[in-house]
Amino acid sequence: MQYFTNIKRSMMSVLEGMAVTFSWLFRRPYTVQWPDKIPEPLEKTLPATYRGLLEVDTRICTACLACEKACPIEVIAIEVDRNSETKERHIVRFDVDAAKCMYCGLCVEQCPTDAIHHTTLFAATTPDIGDLVLTFIKPGERALPFKPKDAPPAAIERGAITQALLDSRRGVE
Amino acid sequence: MIKQELKNIDELRILREPVEGEMLVNMGPQHPSTHGVLNFLLVTDGEVMHRAVPHIGYLHRGIEKLAEQTEYAGFMPFTDRIDYLAAMAANQAYAMAVEKLAGYVVPERAEFLRVIACELNRIASHLVATGSMAMDIGAVTPFIHWIREREYINEITEELCGSRLTYNYCRIGGVSHDLPATLAGKILLWLDHFEPIIDEFDRLITHNEIFVHRLADVCAISAQNATGYGLVGPNLRASGVDWDLRRDKPYSVYDRFDFNIVLGKGFRGAVGDSYDRFVVRVLEMRESCKILRQALVALPAGEIRSKVPRVIKPPVGETYAAVEAPRGELGYYVVSDGVSSKPYRVKIRTGSFTAMSIIESLSKGVMIADLVAIIGSLDVVAPEVDR
Repeated sequence: MQYFTNIKRSMMSVLEGMAVTFSWLFRRPYTVQWPDKIPEPLEKTLPATYRGLLEVDTRICTACLACEKACPIEVIAIEVDRNSETKERHIVRFDVDAAKCMYCGLCVEQCPTDAIHHTTLFAATTPDIGDLVLTFIKPGERALPFKPKDAPPAAIERGAITQALLDSRRGVE
Repeated sequence: MIKQELKNIDELRILREPVEGEMLVNMGPQHPSTHGVLNFLLVTDGEVMHRAVPHIGYLHRGIEKLAEQTEYAGFMPFTDRIDYLAAMAANQAYAMAVEKLAGYVVPERAEFLRVIACELNRIASHLVATGSMAMDIGAVTPFIHWIREREYINEITEELCGSRLTYNYCRIGGVSHDLPATLAGKILLWLDHFEPIIDEFDRLITHNEIFVHRLADVCAISAQNATGYGLVGPNLRASGVDWDLRRDKPYSVYDRFDFNIVLGKGFRGAVGDSYDRFVVRVLEMRESCKILRQALVALPAGEIRSKVPRVIKPPVGETYAAVEAPRGELGYYVVSDGVSSKPYRVKIRTGSFTAMSIIESLSKGVMIADLVAIIGSLDVVAPEVDR
């Protein structure tokens, strides 16, 4: 007798489960057809706190090296060239290895001028892993460190610098 | 009946030369029902297991040693990687340990934010634990429903701290981001949506007769065995042992909330069987919802980070701080030498490691298919075992 009761109860619970599944036919689906069937690219709809690829605005970098020190895995490499006669400093290298970075955000917190910040960019696939070293100061270029007294330059859209760097690596016109 | 006794690890070699009637089967490291990269050596006689020897170390990354190379604040992102399903608890435990060592005070708002984040994370972790356990047993549908709910939590944490999995939310002396009022409303909205979904989940799988018969009375752990092997968290409570760090050693602001500790009562079989461990997790999600509602209402205004020097150098000493993570007590033992800005030693105690050690004694005389139920119900996460 127990045998048949078990079969009956099993059948009932299967039907109950099917009823739940069936009810989902009439509810709004949660799935999104990414990436081609969304109204806006995902980069634009992600929250501003999102920790995506790093971006450095070298115009407002003070070359204080706080981010380099804060990084636990030495992702950021900054070189500052100091002229011993004129005491003038120039940033000659600012590399961020996006392949090694673990996107923890410790460098961003230390930056006094928000020169280094996260973007909402995340798609950075390249055929060569070396392409992921983001060189914010091109070889041969020399940037003057920003002085907090100066007027800040016009703001650029977040992610524009990194996106341009990635595009140039991929050969996108 | 066990034909071969294993006394030390060198004797594993002997296992590879099976005696008559016994067969050695490798389960893992790439088996879909071993959560993560785990390897089990099964000594079997047909379908019946004589022994299952867990092999750990496939995911050893030397996180404890890495701590000695990084500064106190810089070690925080590494703690995310200890348990990828419940990174928030690992963050909080480490922050608590260093704060205790250096004597920093955490603002009240930060404590509340930590609790909110941790409880959200606990729900997310239990969703994966119960969902993947159901999937291991053979029910795929609940897992998909749970992943959908977890997606909402991921979106909340993404907005809160910028990341979906490796949160890195706690800082020594506070938290990294404040909770905007709109997000608090979003969490409440989600809770209103989620609590009826648990009822639906119960209809879908928890009270399913086939599922209950598959798990009830399978591999029951007695209270004595559970404490003897050092089980913690839901695994311990499922065996009927009333122990929860949130209530018994209140840390953070947990003593201000009203919530119940869920105990295994032998819901459909013996106390401490696989089904109890499953149900305890489902019920704990409801308790977490209760804590979340209270915390969001009582959330005080104020600072989220206290003033902490940029380079942290705690005085000479050692300390231990533990939190009740979704997989039980997760503790950090931190030693400072007083001179360096890096820890002298960090030892991490996790719940999955002890859960892993009981598998060998549990697996005597059960079927191979039940091993999947054991691993699933103990909620073993491989990176937490190896660190």
